[in-house]
Amino acid sequence: MDIQFILSSGLIELYTAGLTSDQESQELEEAMHHYPEVAAAVGACQRNLEEYVRLQAVSPPENIKTRLLHLIQTDPSLANDTIATGGDTSPITPASVAPAGEKKQVSWKWIATAAAVLLLISVAFNIIYFSLWKEFQADYPKNQSLAATPLPVNEDKIKLEQLKNAMAVMEDPKVLKVIMPGTDSFPTAVATVFWNQDNKQVYLKANNLPEPATGKQYQLWAIVDDKAVDAGVFDMGDKAHLLQKLKIAGNAQMFAITLEKKGGADTPTLGQLYVSGKVPG
Amino acid sequence: MDYHVTYTEAELVQGLHARDQKVFGFLYDHYSPALYGVIVKVLNDHGLAVDVLQDVFLKIWRYAEQYNEEKGRLFTWMLNIARNTAIDVLRSKSYKLEQKIQNITDDVHLDGGSLTVYPSVDHLGFSKVLDKLTKEQRTLIDLAYYKGCTQEEISRVLDIPLGTVKTRLRNAIIQLRVILNK
Repeated sequence: MDIQFILSSGLIELYTAGLTSDQESQELEEAMHHYPEVAAAVGACQRNLEEYVRLQAVSPPENIKTRLLHLIQTDPSLANDTIATGGDTSPITPASVAPAGEKKQVSWKWIATAAAVLLLISVAFNIIYFSLWKEFQADYPKNQSLAATPLPVNEDKIKLEQLKNAMAVMEDPKVLKVIMPGTDSFPTAVATVFWNQDNKQVYLKANNLPEPATGKQYQLWAIVDDKAVDAGVFDMGDKAHLLQKLKIAGNAQMFAITLEKKGGADTPTLGQLYVSGKVPG
Repeated sequence: MDYHVTYTEAELVQGLHARDQKVFGFLYDHYSPALYGVIVKVLNDHGLAVDVLQDVFLKIWRYAEQYNEEKGRLFTWMLNIARNTAIDVLRSKSYKLEQKIQNITDDVHLDGGSLTVYPSVDHLGFSKVLDKLTKEQRTLIDLAYYKGCTQEEISRVLDIPLGTVKTRLRNAIIQLRVILNK
């Protein structure tokens, strides 16, 4: 059919109003498919009729929307796509323009188009992945050296291991727990010593000690026979919440912590005595 | 529903395909008056029209896959479902032709008494259209479009020769388009 003939024949108006025969509708739809001008003319005519429809719009009763939303939410047959395409949406007027029923025949054109699109997508992904792979190859030596340095994950592992060890120490029945409350000068300070008298190991937990000034360090003392014996210095920072393993002490009756210059002192500075606690028993 | 959200046509189609309830709500909010208007016009029965409207929106939800962008806009598709479903019901009622088309020749929409029943009819816009169309032109369009009448039926109802139905209907639509495109 000639385009000019279609455009001027009145077929478009009749089609839009629903008064064309099946054959006429089919012919016009074919023409719409081949000639954009025809499709545009049909679209324009449809828009006008739709405007005519809109001018006569009527608000439906308000409760319908709620009911519909409820229906689509609760009815499983509506929720999934398993419903067969029923005949009830197929056009009922002989000249109906409903696209609903027409989609039933899946044309090879569509399948071919879909396949072509998929192929293009696949090619695109191949290119992307290939370039990513190349990039990876180029970066490989760099990545290798990165892998050699411990990753943050390892740090977490170490921390976990430390916590596990701490738990083991605290749960060990042979370990004595010595709580060291704050002295009069530092009443809020608290620290705890876990002392394994069997292997003479001492673990320290700084429950509450202020962060030392730069150049200063806390030092643990074991009081053995009224003499202060150095049991080692320890850091605060992120280690404050973990048990810190210190030097083996002798037969201590008491433990105490003073703040000393970095590296520790030979004798405790009593003015800087933060906490002290007697070994029970 | 969020009234501030607007969707492009493509988003609406995508949302409908994905069974997005928000999109469904949006479609209902925006298109139900137009679709309900069509159904009421076809059936001339508000009680029946409510059931059909519900049925129509369930079909839109269920058969979303059947919508094909190539064949026209989403609204056109929805409108066709509404029109076809309503005409289907009209036919199943096995009314006599005269009963079926009863309301077409009555000016229901302009009847002052029914203003409260038809709250969203654009009276001003619609009157403008009606002023410029002859009653026969409007009846021709409505019989074909809303009632799904055949040429023979139109010829009988309007008592015009069968051979002139197409020409007159076409002229009526052209006239309608002239008015609307002004």
